[in-house]
Amino acid sequence: MVRAFVLLAPGGPAGHAPCRVLYARTFGTPAGTAPGGPRQRLCRKEQLLVVARQVASQCQLLQSSLGCLSSPQLPQLPDELMSLQDAPGGLFQMPPGDPFPEGVTVVWLSVLALAFALVCEPQENLSLAEITLRRLAPRLLLSLRLLGPGADVLLRPDAADGLLDRLLPHGQMLFLNEHFLQAMDRDMGIKTYH
Amino acid sequence: MFTAAAESFLRQAREIQEEELRRFTARVSAVLQSPEPGPEAVDALQRLHLTVAATKYPRKLDGKFVELLQTVLCSPKSPEQIQVLCAAILREMSPCNDLILSCDEIQDTKLLSLVSSVLLAQGEVAAVGQRVVKVLERRLPEGQSARFLLPVLANVISLSPESLTEEQTNVVSKKLADWLRYASIQQGVAQPSGGFFSSPRTKQPAPITEVDGTVATDFFTVLSVAQHYTQDQWLNMQTFSMLRKWLLCYGGKELNTLNPGMDRCVTSMVPTTGTAGRLLPPRERLRDKAFEYCQRLIEQSNRRPLKKDDGDLQKACLIEAVTIMDIICKQDSSYVCRAVSFLKILHSRICGDATYARALLPIAQFFLNHSKLAAVDSDAIYKHLFTDIPAQLFHNPSLAFEFVQFCKDNSQLFTDSSSIFRQSFPNLFKFLAWNSPPLISEFVDLLPFLLDAGTTIEIFHLLLDLPCLTAALDIQAASLPASEKAGGDPAGKPATCLEAFRHPLYKSMFQYLLRTNNSSFAHSLVPLRQLLGALAGSPRVVQCAETVPVLLELFFRVVAEFADGSLINQLVVLLLQRSDQLYEIPAFKEDVYRVLGSQLAVLCSLRPALVVELSTEILEFSGAVSNIQSKEAIFTHMAWAVGEYLSVSYDKRCTVEQITRFFETLEAVLFEITQLRPQASTPSCAPRAISVLMATLTKLAARSQDLIPRVSMFLSKMRTFVQSPAATSVYCEEDLEEILIRATELMNLLKMPSVAQFVFTPPQASSRFQREVNDSLPLALRMVTQFLEPAPGSMPV
Repeated sequence: MVRAFVLLAPGGPAGHAPCRVLYARTFGTPAGTAPGGPRQRLCRKEQLLVVARQVASQCQLLQSSLGCLSSPQLPQLPDELMSLQDAPGGLFQMPPGDPFPEGVTVVWLSVLALAFALVCEPQENLSLAEITLRRLAPRLLLSLRLLGPGADVLLRPDAADGLLDRLLPHGQMLFLNEHFLQAMDRDMGIKTYH
Repeated sequence: MFTAAAESFLRQAREIQEEELRRFTARVSAVLQSPEPGPEAVDALQRLHLTVAATKYPRKLDGKFVELLQTVLCSPKSPEQIQVLCAAILREMSPCNDLILSCDEIQDTKLLSLVSSVLLAQGEVAAVGQRVVKVLERRLPEGQSARFLLPVLANVISLSPESLTEEQTNVVSKKLADWLRYASIQQGVAQPSGGFFSSPRTKQPAPITEVDGTVATDFFTVLSVAQHYTQDQWLNMQTFSMLRKWLLCYGGKELNTLNPGMDRCVTSMVPTTGTAGRLLPPRERLRDKAFEYCQRLIEQSNRRPLKKDDGDLQKACLIEAVTIMDIICKQDSSYVCRAVSFLKILHSRICGDATYARALLPIAQFFLNHSKLAAVDSDAIYKHLFTDIPAQLFHNPSLAFEFVQFCKDNSQLFTDSSSIFRQSFPNLFKFLAWNSPPLISEFVDLLPFLLDAGTTIEIFHLLLDLPCLTAALDIQAASLPASEKAGGDPAGKPATCLEAFRHPLYKSMFQYLLRTNNSSFAHSLVPLRQLLGALAGSPRVVQCAETVPVLLELFFRVVAEFADGSLINQLVVLLLQRSDQLYEIPAFKEDVYRVLGSQLAVLCSLRPALVVELSTEILEFSGAVSNIQSKEAIFTHMAWAVGEYLSVSYDKRCTVEQITRFFETLEAVLFEITQLRPQASTPSCAPRAISVLMATLTKLAARSQDLIPRVSMFLSKMRTFVQSPAATSVYCEEDLEEILIRATELMNLLKMPSVAQFVFTPPQASSRFQREVNDSLPLALRMVTQFLEPAPGSMPV
């Protein structure tokens, strides 16, 4: 199961723009989490920020090792789903206690100045997690116009929620072959050119 | 990216004051309660969500308003978008005291799923679990689908498996088994669009196909293709997606029906589907269907998909299927024999295909878990996995990560020094060399399992040469297009690193660096290291170099626990040798010297006698003045160790001659670096080195009192040195003052030789005491100084 999904802007190297969480969704509060309203909520937000910062750092390190120059800007907003087969990404572990009570594995993907991350339980099918991310990301990019100058990501949580509810319902990753995926896209009204 | 617009909205949302928020929620309230909430309501809720989400501290919303949100959420008349937004706001606020939400009355499965997301965020796991099972138990009304509830169930059991009773899990297991095995094998039909041109006849549903286009001849699975899917086919996909979790939670809690003590597979040939007419209990039946499903998936993964992306899913399915089979076999060992033969065939099918490499890991894990029971020899599988895969696929970051996780999960395999796992550690480090940032913490966990008396020396060299390995891997990858002509002129020097790769002079060195098994190398790697200097600036090499100090510290910490005297001596000699033979990256060398220096002190404290036993090597190192500048950290700690441990109380073989020899060597070095008229060749060095040298000379003199006059005279000259233009131009005032104070204290101490002897040669009581003495030396010196030159009123009591 996926514990959380995070969409972030990694920002620049240390000293430049800070890392920001643009949208995040956790799937349920584990039983046995210390109760206590504001504290619990704050803890949740802090945990997600820690994940985001780690992703940003890994992303910057990978990009520097690949010799990537600063991300080129797309000439215009894409109006169909991008293929993210070559987008840089990675996996890393976060040990128990830092920041979640149990250890987690984070799977991440970066697209231009954005990054997407899935926080997975241990022993999860990481191949499926990567596939899920590579499907979520282009649909979110399209639906929330993430590469444009607007702020849809902040103002339209329902669009993000809708996508997550189909492709990652309650944190459950789905074994969708291309035809299942097409059927789902049809349901969501997403035009894809297969 | 974080756009200017987003920045502005976020700031506004954070700055909204309570009063303004109150007015806003009143407006939202009014809009929501209007007969047909439209785009204005949507817009308002979206802004409210941002306001609530934007701050770290929770926003206080009026209790009545929160109730309204819940009412709107649960009302079937509300438009879907508004329901989704209400749920999002409630989740964002959780945990929330004003939540009165209950899922008990909700019939619509989609809405139930949405409401559950709020309740689960609130922590109401048991209530949700109970409701979902209750709905699944009964026949669903027309138009409702259970497919929205399975993910909720999966979330419930992963948050809190105790939420369901055994009876409930049996009911669900029964349904899961049916959904898994008996989904329709006909494609669904598209909703008729109506319209003038649509055909009045309903089309005949076509059969499902495989991913390669052939018509399917067996039951439906997630790898079955249809243009439109039926409800039960969606359920099939959902069921498989949560199957592993379900089996892990509830598959294994009862006794194995076959004899649990059996150690051969013979009796398991009895079919487990039970005799005719008798249906298996739900748990066993689900296991049976699941096993069958996994077998079918594995067969289906052999097909060449028409759509390229389906290939990725095939591999993910393969991994999942093998993992589930592993779980099933753990829960019921009667499946082992069937699984073993099946998976052996699978392994031989995919082991040559690099794109299937990740699937080799769960297969290997299966054999590790079960091959003893099946009396099967799986060494060939492990050998291929550990010898070939890292060497060929180190550059695949996902494989690298999963491979290292596999090693960590099976760390007990590495303790046997004769096993293939242990022998292939040079191969494992290729993963780290290439993918340093994500794997360094994994290797910190793994390294202790690789270290023992037999591997220490080789791993020491390997760690110091890790950045070279990165460079070599880079060159190896670049050399793979075989059109490269062999080596250039063998008599001449290679012009590039790439040429060097095949050059006879360098070939064996490359081969050693890139070896797959542990072994030693008779020759030096110095020429190769120099050659690879060309790549020292490459980002990957630099990232790898940054991991080395961490691993080195850990290395020494672990080795200290088991190393005997001979190994410690070996390490110290190598440490001094290798300090000259490091990859040429300045920051890397600096960090490595720092670690080696402090660890040298630790090794000497573990085995003080080594100062005497290795006196030749130590004298050679300490006598080279260039070392004090280029390797200050190592030199300083070495000098300190000499002062501390070169004494009869640590080793009876320590003679006056030896003390004198060390004294003269260090005195010469100190003289060289504190000249009043330095030459261009005189090295400059850190003030700390000067202090340590002075202290060491004093300590040695305290033990061999003939030397006292020499030291005292030297120390008295320090005042002149400190005031000389040579010193003032190089060192800052505080440092020079510190040197002078130290010199004075030491001189004063030597005026009382017996006190000096006591202070500098403590009885060998315990190592803790030795450490304390070292820490308290400055304090002791100051006390003695005060005693000898009391300032008025400062007489110690």
